[in-house]
Amino acid sequence: MQKLGDFKLPQFFNYTPYFTLQPVRDTREKQLQLWKELILDYCKTQKIYTIGLEENFPLFSNPVIERSLNNEARETFLSALVSEGRAEWLDKGHKKCLILWHRIQDWAEIILQFVKDYGLEDGVMTIEDIRLGIESRGTELHGVDRTILNRALKILESKGKAAIFKGTSTDDEGVKFSV
Amino acid sequence: MRRRPGIGGLQTAAATRDQYRLLGENVAKVRTDLMKEQLATFRSQLEEFARKHKNDIRKNPTFRAQFHEMCAKVGVDPLASNKGFWAELLGIGDFYYELGIQIVEICLATRSHNGGLINLEELCTLLRQKRRSDREAVSEDDCLRAISKLKILGSGFEVISVGKRKLVRSVPTELNKDHNAILELAQARGFVTVDEVERQLLWGSGRTIDALDTLLEEGLAMIDDGHRDGKRRYWFLVYLPSHQEGLMYRVSSSFCISCTNHEV
Repeated sequence: MQKLGDFKLPQFFNYTPYFTLQPVRDTREKQLQLWKELILDYCKTQKIYTIGLEENFPLFSNPVIERSLNNEARETFLSALVSEGRAEWLDKGHKKCLILWHRIQDWAEIILQFVKDYGLEDGVMTIEDIRLGIESRGTELHGVDRTILNRALKILESKGKAAIFKGTSTDDEGVKFSV
Repeated sequence: MRRRPGIGGLQTAAATRDQYRLLGENVAKVRTDLMKEQLATFRSQLEEFARKHKNDIRKNPTFRAQFHEMCAKVGVDPLASNKGFWAELLGIGDFYYELGIQIVEICLATRSHNGGLINLEELCTLLRQKRRSDREAVSEDDCLRAISKLKILGSGFEVISVGKRKLVRSVPTELNKDHNAILELAQARGFVTVDEVERQLLWGSGRTIDALDTLLEEGLAMIDDGHRDGKRRYWFLVYLPSHQEGLMYRVSSSFCISCTNHEV
């Protein structure tokens, strides 16, 4: 079994036709399914939040079998994730993609849980503290992508469970929870 | 009563006819009895044999195959009915019906990634895994026998021979000679190219592409355009040594293919 760091690659990754977009619908569906699962799984375990289409993303090529995904295939797989709400394009040109192994609303739930666990129901935190502070260490929130965090907090804000306030710089942006 | 001419003659003739008939019946009866006796002897001998070797038949796949062969030679099909002494004696019908059901299950479970064509060897391995708790061994011969019984259901189960390999088809697609020829050609490396087919089988490109397209459509093959020679490869899923461990129970979520089959 091939490995990428400590990540165990699935067997299909070693099979050349999976690196070519399949023309037959049913076969392509199966191919898409496998790739979607692989991308989400890999990003989740490696804590990868964005994939650049033209970057050297490790899953996009397999040197052992000398195959790599062309741009069309990359965009197809990521678009499939986007259509399921498991990813979002960050630009109109579809060059950069935000990977949501948790959907935004799930991230919001995770924040709520974190707030409850740490007794911050009426507390105030800076956004940077949530991402990189001591409190979030060891939780899924640690190191979370800023865009994702902002979007999740906006969901909470719209539900009246948080209020985001701007500071003098982006570092000072804070949030007051009222759970 | 009015006298008719030659009544005596007629009566004699009738009597003779009766005699002949009686005699004929007797002969036939004797023959039938003899036949019945022979059959009874044969049956009891066969029963005796089966009883004596009951355990061998159940436990030893080779012996079982030979027993089937013997039965076939004398025109007895122990699987023809689940009633009667075979079933009572050996439970052999149940054994094959159970195998049949398990084969159907395996074929359905693996269909999504092999397109409904599975290697007999692989099928047997999966079958053995499925029956792990069962001490009785299952041979390829048993598989073939169980599959031949499935045909009656008209569900399109069929064994096709491709070169030395036997493949079990569980989708109703009829594979014609052309498809079989391609499958046979692909055996060596797991894939073919259009060039290769045209060269080896001396076909025109229309015929080649037509056959390959059908195989793609049926989900039996996948294309690979990534080789540096730029030639499209048609890979056949049935030739992938699939990652068998636990395959059955996580079919859709993480279909695995062994990495041992990629070209060098």
